Amino acid sequence: MQPIEHLRLAWRSIRGHALRSALTTLGVVIGIAAVIAFVTLGASLQAGIIGDISPDDQRNLYGWAADPDTEGGPLAGAQPVVSDADLEELEEFDEVTAAYGYATIPTQTVSDGDEEVPQGDGLVATGPSYVREDDIEDGRSFEMGEREGVLNPAAAEQFEENASVGDELTITTIGGQETTVEVVGITTTSEGLSPFEGFEASPRIYVPTDPYYAEGTAGVGIGDGAEGDDGVGDGTSDSNGDLRFLAVVVEAQTAADEDVDAARDRAIAHLESDDADASEFVGEDDDLEMTFQTSTELLQQLQDVLDLLQNFIVGIAAISLLVGSIGIANIMLVSVTERTREIGIMKAVGAQNRDVLGLFLAEAVILGVIGAILGTGLGLLAGYLGALYIDLPLVYPYEYVALAIVVGVLVGVISGLYPAWRAARTDPIDALRYE
Amino acid sequence: MASSDTAVSLENVRKTYRLAEPVHALDGVSLAVPRGSYTAIMGPSGSGKSTLMNLVGCLDTPTEGTVIVDGRDVTALDGNERTALRGEQVGFVFQTFNLMPRLTALENVALPQLFQSVSRGERRERARTLLERVGLGDRADHLPNELSGGQRQRVALARALVNDPAIVLADEPSGNLDTGTEADVLDLFDEFHEAGTTMVVVTHERHVAERAERIVHLLDGRIERIEELESDGKTTRPGGSTTPNVTGETDSEAGDGR
Repeated sequence: MQPIEHLRLAWRSIRGHALRSALTTLGVVIGIAAVIAFVTLGASLQAGIIGDISPDDQRNLYGWAADPDTEGGPLAGAQPVVSDADLEELEEFDEVTAAYGYATIPTQTVSDGDEEVPQGDGLVATGPSYVREDDIEDGRSFEMGEREGVLNPAAAEQFEENASVGDELTITTIGGQETTVEVVGITTTSEGLSPFEGFEASPRIYVPTDPYYAEGTAGVGIGDGAEGDDGVGDGTSDSNGDLRFLAVVVEAQTAADEDVDAARDRAIAHLESDDADASEFVGEDDDLEMTFQTSTELLQQLQDVLDLLQNFIVGIAAISLLVGSIGIANIMLVSVTERTREIGIMKAVGAQNRDVLGLFLAEAVILGVIGAILGTGLGLLAGYLGALYIDLPLVYPYEYVALAIVVGVLVGVISGLYPAWRAARTDPIDALRYE
Repeated sequence: MASSDTAVSLENVRKTYRLAEPVHALDGVSLAVPRGSYTAIMGPSGSGKSTLMNLVGCLDTPTEGTVIVDGRDVTALDGNERTALRGEQVGFVFQTFNLMPRLTALENVALPQLFQSVSRGERRERARTLLERVGLGDRADHLPNELSGGQRQRVALARALVNDPAIVLADEPSGNLDTGTEADVLDLFDEFHEAGTTMVVVTHERHVAERAERIVHLLDGRIERIEELESDGKTTRPGGSTTPNVTGETDSEAGDGR
């Protein structure tokens, strides 16, 4: 008997019990749909939170000093230890292309001409190469030591007439000081450019650490992590030597693992050596330890949490799939009993055991595959609607679609095997007598 | 004994069921069914008719003795080989028709060839020819529950013949039919017998058995006697006279034949 005939006959009996078959399949549909929907949402969520990490970003090492026992994401427990001088020395090494500090400066308002908008924490003081060329839509990056900055679209669009290259913004810091920034560039994206910022879209103005960070720390309680409202007088605008950064970025030659590792080793070795100001606080005898990680490494933690959550949900969905396959097995057993006489007829007219086995197996597999196909469609639709509703970029996990079909076949085979085997070993003499 | 002109032969066949105490359903039966013959098997219930049917139909194997179907020793075959032999060389007609309820008349007739891996086109062509021969050419696409009892039995007969078997086994073929349709079906048996098919009919009705060339009387698992009937003239008269010519050519032809 040819396989196509198995399918044809099996399809006949499925259609003969349309409602029963539909209800049986529903179990698998719901199981597969749940898995696909949650995996789609999970993938979309991941894409939404993490975004695409630019390949250029891969050579950046994000560093901070913290107690080695501190757990948490980027900057957890970070203390300001790295000085400007340390960073300048780091740049001297061959392994390091650039090294600069990173800090967010609390602000109150930003004005473009007459228009003033409130903005807190929007001033990101860092090095020029932090804003990569690929990220610049218009203009150029800022230069160190100049009163200029780069806006992201969210920051530019806050103003009625979008801020553009050439505008001069007036920024009021939390301490009430006013400072000016000339807009020299606009970035392509409002999402964060590094894990330090977080990846969500938010208005940001990128400015050079010199002079802004220096000025900020000279003011009132400015500088990331400096909670105190009273003046923190350990840095002045003209004396950068003792200005410490909480967060630093070290750029390796390339994104290749060995270059990144070389830069990391060099940076840690230097900062812990006696030559560096940071060694005062970090190193073997001190409480703090330098950590340098790439975006990928930093995101791993987030990724792990997401994966765990997703596995948990998919696990629950898989249970419903299990219930679905039990449904198929159950209905196939009923079907075998109900069709005992038909099995007897087929065997009397020359059906071999393997023919009968094949028929019932084909029936179960068809149910499984139909369930898988409908479930995949439903799951993708649910994922699409879900992603639309919570406003996530839609990412379809195509490998799961293929997997779903395979699972459908497997569910059919596994749940159909025992009933089909029972059917195959039916004794035709008894079966023909069966009422 | 298993010469080429013997369709089925049984030699000293014994079938014992081990129940509370051994029951000899068949107790030393020897019988040869020549090719092209028409044999009726009669006997009260419990006489071993069904057991004999199952053995001849390769559905079962004897406890002792040999059963030879189309020259092959059934007792020496394994399950699959027996099934294959049954599919190719035995056609069944049952009292309760035993058609597949969700297959059309045509598909029911073609079913045995499905398991012989005959191509779909060939199967359908062969099935259509046979349906026409049993007078149901216009009912090919009907489901069994859309057919009358007589029509169903004719479909079953066409199915039994589809593989051109060495023997057609009919178990009470007219048990569920009224007198008129019974004659139709039995006339068809006569017709196919005349065309060369070997027929074995199990029945407990004398007038059905009388259509055969000989009647084997079973009693308590033994052959009581074998009754050789005269030429067709004697046996066909009751059937022939009551045949209402319902379906045209096949029936009238059968009637004219005698």
